[in-house]
Amino acid sequence: MATSATGMVYIRVIEDVISKVRDEFVNNGPGESVLNELQGIWEMKMIQAGVIIDRTSAPKQPAPGGPITPVHDLNVPYEGTEEYETPTAEILFPPTPLQTPIQTPLPGSTPLPGSTPLPGSTPLPGTADNSTYNIPTGSSDYPTPASDSGGNTEAKSGNGRPSSYMPPPPSPWMNPRPPLSVDVNVAYVEGRDEADRGTSHQPLTQDFFTMSAGKRKREDFPAQYHNGGYNIPQQDGAGDAMSEIFELEVSEFPGRQDSVTTANREIFANLASSSVKIPQLDGPIPDPYDDVLSTPNASTPAVVTQNDAAEDDDDEPLNENDDDELDDVDQGEELNTQHLVLAQFDKVTRTKSRWKCALKDGIMHINNKDILFNKATGEFDF
Amino acid sequence: MATFELYRRSTIGMCLTETLDEMVQNGTLTPELAIQVLVQFDKSMTEALETQVKSKVSIKGHLHTYRFCDNVWTFILQDALFKSEELQETVGRVKIVACDSKLLSQ
Repeated sequence: MATSATGMVYIRVIEDVISKVRDEFVNNGPGESVLNELQGIWEMKMIQAGVIIDRTSAPKQPAPGGPITPVHDLNVPYEGTEEYETPTAEILFPPTPLQTPIQTPLPGSTPLPGSTPLPGSTPLPGTADNSTYNIPTGSSDYPTPASDSGGNTEAKSGNGRPSSYMPPPPSPWMNPRPPLSVDVNVAYVEGRDEADRGTSHQPLTQDFFTMSAGKRKREDFPAQYHNGGYNIPQQDGAGDAMSEIFELEVSEFPGRQDSVTTANREIFANLASSSVKIPQLDGPIPDPYDDVLSTPNASTPAVVTQNDAAEDDDDEPLNENDDDELDDVDQGEELNTQHLVLAQFDKVTRTKSRWKCALKDGIMHINNKDILFNKATGEFDF
Repeated sequence: MATFELYRRSTIGMCLTETLDEMVQNGTLTPELAIQVLVQFDKSMTEALETQVKSKVSIKGHLHTYRFCDNVWTFILQDALFKSEELQETVGRVKIVACDSKLLSQ
């Protein structure tokens, strides 16, 4: 408080110091401005410490509750874009054509572009029904069951010659995109209808899967479907490799020995191997002491000794707690933030265990308060 | 004339030291000038304590540690009681550092 005696003394000390060093600053030093800056910062720190209150400013510090960064109002429901308004549409019609073959197990019936003959014939009637599902299933990789009504020819041509059709995969997708949006609504509705008779229509992949199953039944694909009762797995987004693996399984069982199937079998093997063993390489735990050693083999004893040192370092933190109790005294002495009395002594005497001391001109900082004294007497029992 | 650098450890002394450190790091002040300011602070503080302060304080407590080195007494008290005309304070632990007053007058 500025009105307190201590505060007044401090202010006087500051002024005295500044006035005494002003000559030094002006004549040989940086000048008056720097001196004023020094005084300003010094007083500001004193105010922050709470030992004095600036005379000019009445309140100590303004409440910091003023500037409140505007927070985005989360109460307002998130207004997503049109894309997100119909998440189903988003899933149905993924932006990238590459995703479609993953999400649509429909091509499982005809997973290989090479296996065009069978799907080439049978899906024709299916395509009529699939025209609405062209988008999700009409991936360029699996063109047979999924194709636009307008893109059927393209799909079929792609079936026959996937190599020539493959290069521009996004083309069939990009073009029919605008109508896709329209088809989305239709497809989604029909998906619901067919899902009712089938399984639940939660993920669209499942819908199409049941659809495809239904289609295959109609298309007389019992061979594939009854083979070992292998359930074509549901394909989620991340199951790229596994989906392909299973698709290849299904394709293999009908007994097709096309070159493409064999090639895919190899791919399957590779995929299986790659999926089974994901090499994880963990380097050796970096030992800081090994940095000095170029060849661990050459300097094994050094490694041992340094490891011991390292172990000691590891043990030291564990053993630190043992010394905490003993070090309280030292730590207490070193802590200057604790209550502190700085003074000059005139006399210190001791009688047995009774100590007496006469102090003068001291500054006390106890209980977060600054107290000045001219004289002090102490009586301590040791 | 030698000064007690003792009071630089007080609140006002620490504030001044921090301020000077900042200005020296900024390059606003030269280290020599900063030291001159601190020396002047020592003198002014000592003089102010001698002339402007008139209070008396009594201290009582259990002496936990005592040390006398380089003409400096250091006491660590436990459960100390500070009494003066205006106030009375108790602290669990306090450190007292006292320099020999005779050194200044020599």
